[in-house]
Amino acid sequence: MAVLLKNISVPLASFTLRVDVEIRGRLTAIFGPSGAGKTTLLDLVAGLRPADFAFVQIDDRVLTDTSRGVFLPPRQRGIGYVPQDLALFPHLTVRQNLLYGQKPREGANSSLKFDRVVEVLEIPSLVQRRVTDLSGGEKQRVAIARALLSSPRLLLLDEPLASLDVPLRARIIPYLARIRDEFGVPMLYVTHDRFEALALADEMVVLVNGTVAQAGPVNELFNRPANSAVAGVLAVETVLKGLVEKVENGLVTVRVGPVTLAAVDQDFSSEQREVYACIRAENVVILKGAAIANSARNHLPGVVRMLGNDGPLMRVELDCGVPLTALLTRRSCEEMKLAPGDRVTAQVKAQHVHLIGRLPNEIS
Amino acid sequence: MSAEEWQIIWFTAWVAGLSTIIILPFGLAAAWVLARHDWPGKTLFETVITLPLVMPPVATGLLLLTCFGNNGIGGMIHRYLGFRIIFTWRAVLLALAVMSFPLLVRSARTAFEGVNPRLEQIARTLGAGNIRVFFTISVPLAMRGIISGMLLAYARALGEFGATVMVAGNIAGKTTTISLAIFESVQNFQDKEAYRLLGVSVVLAFVAVWAGEWVVRRKKS
Repeated sequence: MAVLLKNISVPLASFTLRVDVEIRGRLTAIFGPSGAGKTTLLDLVAGLRPADFAFVQIDDRVLTDTSRGVFLPPRQRGIGYVPQDLALFPHLTVRQNLLYGQKPREGANSSLKFDRVVEVLEIPSLVQRRVTDLSGGEKQRVAIARALLSSPRLLLLDEPLASLDVPLRARIIPYLARIRDEFGVPMLYVTHDRFEALALADEMVVLVNGTVAQAGPVNELFNRPANSAVAGVLAVETVLKGLVEKVENGLVTVRVGPVTLAAVDQDFSSEQREVYACIRAENVVILKGAAIANSARNHLPGVVRMLGNDGPLMRVELDCGVPLTALLTRRSCEEMKLAPGDRVTAQVKAQHVHLIGRLPNEIS
Repeated sequence: MSAEEWQIIWFTAWVAGLSTIIILPFGLAAAWVLARHDWPGKTLFETVITLPLVMPPVATGLLLLTCFGNNGIGGMIHRYLGFRIIFTWRAVLLALAVMSFPLLVRSARTAFEGVNPRLEQIARTLGAGNIRVFFTISVPLAMRGIISGMLLAYARALGEFGATVMVAGNIAGKTTTISLAIFESVQNFQDKEAYRLLGVSVVLAFVAVWAGEWVVRRKKS
């Protein structure tokens, strides 16, 4: 699956949305702060918004090409759309909502049978209910099921979890992962929550002020933000893929490449063996010379690779077997006489290692 | 009540109902287009539709008389289709339809504007064409406003006087409606007849409004 978005230019109130990107992920997060143009982009792909300049192609099907006057109406696009307000039809029952778009399409995804979709999203008991009687999480799942049952070639999800409280979000995320894995419908997932992006997405497109600031595999983006705008939006400097080795006394041991990290158990179920360990640069302390005994759980010997200015601070890139970024004051750097090639020890408290459960991803 | 009065009541209720049914599709189409689209001549279109509401009914009647008279469209219809409009029951129907049309459009338009456009858009992404979206999403969700619009239109048609008397005259047994009959009775000092018909008007209006409220209530639950 490839979604090609080229030469897109849509004037919005305070900026112009400009997008030129090719998306190949099974689940791609469109990430950006509120008002970055994310919903506009989805509307454009779905054909709900005209554009002066746009080229939208899914696989070999051109949906919009303003230069040749091609504009496929939304109903012919085969795109399932779950908008932020869900747009369930209030005058219809859950069943009528679900069946609204169902049709056997040519070459349609045969795994998208009514019973199966309803089962995977655990909504069989809701089918006879009225939409207005559902809870937030139930509405969410019904809206997703309705979009899936139209046998879409691409599923657009606009901040599907934004309206839910945190515990409910954690319960919905596995459903999204199941859809991704079981039905094989590629998804574009708009979010401004980096944990959602890390938990679900393979690829990510970062939108800042209507422009694609960076696009690529999720962990690459978090580790190597292309510029300070992306780093600022993502707000995490180090994201490491790791495996949970053990959970003991509230302390989680995670193996990241050659390094073992200790983290405080943040209540994720132990079956999520694959995790992302996130460390913010301001939480990394650098010691030069002999290590002194202290309370930090993680001591990582490494080499300084690079020093760079970051506003009033210095950004120090380390190689501790895994890449690690630290943010120090200029004064500290001068006092320690830090220079590339120096051997140092990085320290991180266990509670500053934030773990994000990576949902099983057997296909990729 | 005399047979003649029964005929008047029956004729009025029936022709007002028919007029409401005839304007319904056009009224809904106009209301939807006004609620959902913008185009350069929109204001002009709106104004023309609203005119019968603000113009003196007699003036509207005169306009219709001119248009549908024998020198206008009416003459052509007579030549090619073989029937007359002016001073027949068809003229009553025409007058009622024109006079009640703006009320239906205004009410239905407000109702359509109250339907979240996102619902219509998402229905399109689910594969529905414009017609299906209109009948399965827009109309059901605007139903209460549409029903009250129909009710207003029907009530307006029941009481129409000025335009009717201009295009249809007051021909006993042919074009006399309740309003015309009340006026005529009062003119001829037949107060008893006038008050009987007044009572009938009250009952008809009451039943129409009550039935409408009942339907709307049922829709809500």
